[in-house]
Amino acid sequence: MNGKSTHSRKLLLLAPLLLFLGLAYVAPFLGVVRWSFTMPETGLGQYAAVFTDPLVQSVFVRTLRICLIVTAASLITAYAIAYVWVRGSSVQRALAEFCILVPFWISVLTRAFGWLAMLSNRGLINTWLQSAGIISEPLALARNEFGVIIGMTHFLIPFAVFPIASAMRSIDERVLLAARGMGASRTRTFWTVFVPLTYGGMIGAALIVFVFALGFFVTPAILGGGRSVMVAELVYLRIFQSPDWGLGAAISVVLVLFIGILLTLLRRFIKPAHMVG
Amino acid sequence: MDNAFQKDCLEILASKVERGEISRRRFTQMAAMFLAGAPALLRSTGSYAQAKELVLVNWGGDAMTAYDKAYGQPFTKESGVTVKMDGSGPTEGAITAQFKSGKPSWDLLDVDPFSGISLGKQGMLEPIDYSIVDKNKMRPGFGWDTAASTYFFSYIVAYDSSKFGDLVPTGMADFFDVKKFPGKRSMYKWGAAMWEAALMGDGVAPEKLYPLDLKRAHDKIAAFKENVVAYWGGGAESQSVLIDGEASMALIWSTRAQLIEQDSGGTIKFVWDQGLISPGALAVMKNNPGGKENAMKFIASAQTPERQLEMFNLLGQGPANPATDALIPDDKKRINCVDPANMAKQVPLDMEWYAENYGKAFDEYTKVISA
Repeated sequence: MNGKSTHSRKLLLLAPLLLFLGLAYVAPFLGVVRWSFTMPETGLGQYAAVFTDPLVQSVFVRTLRICLIVTAASLITAYAIAYVWVRGSSVQRALAEFCILVPFWISVLTRAFGWLAMLSNRGLINTWLQSAGIISEPLALARNEFGVIIGMTHFLIPFAVFPIASAMRSIDERVLLAARGMGASRTRTFWTVFVPLTYGGMIGAALIVFVFALGFFVTPAILGGGRSVMVAELVYLRIFQSPDWGLGAAISVVLVLFIGILLTLLRRFIKPAHMVG
Repeated sequence: MDNAFQKDCLEILASKVERGEISRRRFTQMAAMFLAGAPALLRSTGSYAQAKELVLVNWGGDAMTAYDKAYGQPFTKESGVTVKMDGSGPTEGAITAQFKSGKPSWDLLDVDPFSGISLGKQGMLEPIDYSIVDKNKMRPGFGWDTAASTYFFSYIVAYDSSKFGDLVPTGMADFFDVKKFPGKRSMYKWGAAMWEAALMGDGVAPEKLYPLDLKRAHDKIAAFKENVVAYWGGGAESQSVLIDGEASMALIWSTRAQLIEQDSGGTIKFVWDQGLISPGALAVMKNNPGGKENAMKFIASAQTPERQLEMFNLLGQGPANPATDALIPDDKKRINCVDPANMAKQVPLDMEWYAENYGKAFDEYTKVISA
């Protein structure tokens, strides 16, 4: 079989997916793009608004800030989990797997409400801290930005674990042995040999988490106390509540472009196969 | 308003079944009726209502059963006209699409009156025929050119009585006073009635509210922001904010307030003082397939006090026909938002103002609470 027919066969196998994506995403999105230039009147007015409207600006800035914090928090936690998962004892590995997969299978809605039950004024944490006499008034843990960050980080950790674990698995054990053999301490081997070898996985994980976080809707809607904390909520408001859809459409287009740029960077830094482990 | 209120009615009905306030048997009967109607409903999708048939579009779920039981079936019995319930939700967008298609398949629409007014002005709705629909069976001021009021609910102050000793809030000034009534607050995400509450809290007399001074209202809301723990978007959320003790006071729907009072064993109480009454309405699609006259007759039949009583019992909605008030048993009068004693303490939302200004005002409100 020559290369060309294999190639077209593969394309054929991909066709249903491409067709689905085309019909379900690309075509409707072109409609959104059109709205952004035509509603309420033809022109770039809505894009000017995206870059000048103080509400859109503040929501964009807050979205970026939350996404950066969530990315950092997810990365650090995921690194530790991945380390145990890849290099721990069999019991530790099983435990890590459990911690990664169970939340992965639970719906985002359930998890957000679970966090509400944990973090609210009469939630587990506040009740416990109060009965232990550590605090007298409940801490404001949910229905604000803090709650949103916790909920999102929890959701995104598994997505960061996979690429990092994949990078860790591909490290040649002999390299580490060589470092130890040359007299490096365990700590030094870890920081100067092991960690640098996982940079690729970390960058992949960071981009996946960050891009994913940008579009979050459910978690901020539930844990954010009804304010439009993040961009996706703002788009929802503009489209569902306002008769003028142009601004919501323009915000979506800007968001998609921004994510597109990030994904291009992602492809540069890391092979797609690496990201999923 | 995201049809949030209408959706909440369904949840309330479901929870009443859970609590056993509606017997399981009755629920099964209602469900059976609904299921029996389902194939016909499916067939009607995309086709046009026949002459002897009306399609009533509301927000789905259990409200379909309630509408059918309280209004649909009795109307069919007396007129021979079948009323099909369609729960797909008459959003302004959907109504516009129906109208523009030139061949609407809908007859009756369960809409916010201000939507009814503005869609009516755009020529998408039939004028209400007040020779068939009886204006005397409506509360004065709640019959519009293209929308007829069919029920009421209120935005009222609910509070956690365990937090304030013997003090009882008596209006919006108390809602905005965190010194006298300490603790966090919760307000409505979709803005409606919040402007009026802020203005009254700022000292504007109830009769001088309209046209609303939005600047003043938003200044008040902006200055009060740090005291608001959550802007609830649906009834269940308002309930959890109060029951979980996150807010000591909240502006919520009267239909929900009753449930919260029960659920909290009476700890969460509510007052009608300076509550804001909001009507719900039926409107008729322009050139509706089932005929204008039958649609008007249906609206007229829904003015029957006994039928409105049924809706009050099922969903807690205040009746549109004042004659219904007297039929409500004494122990339930307390929770009827339009009972004369309660209504006297409240202010109705001006639907004409909302038809004109809601979109812009809501945009501004979002900016204020999210910035």
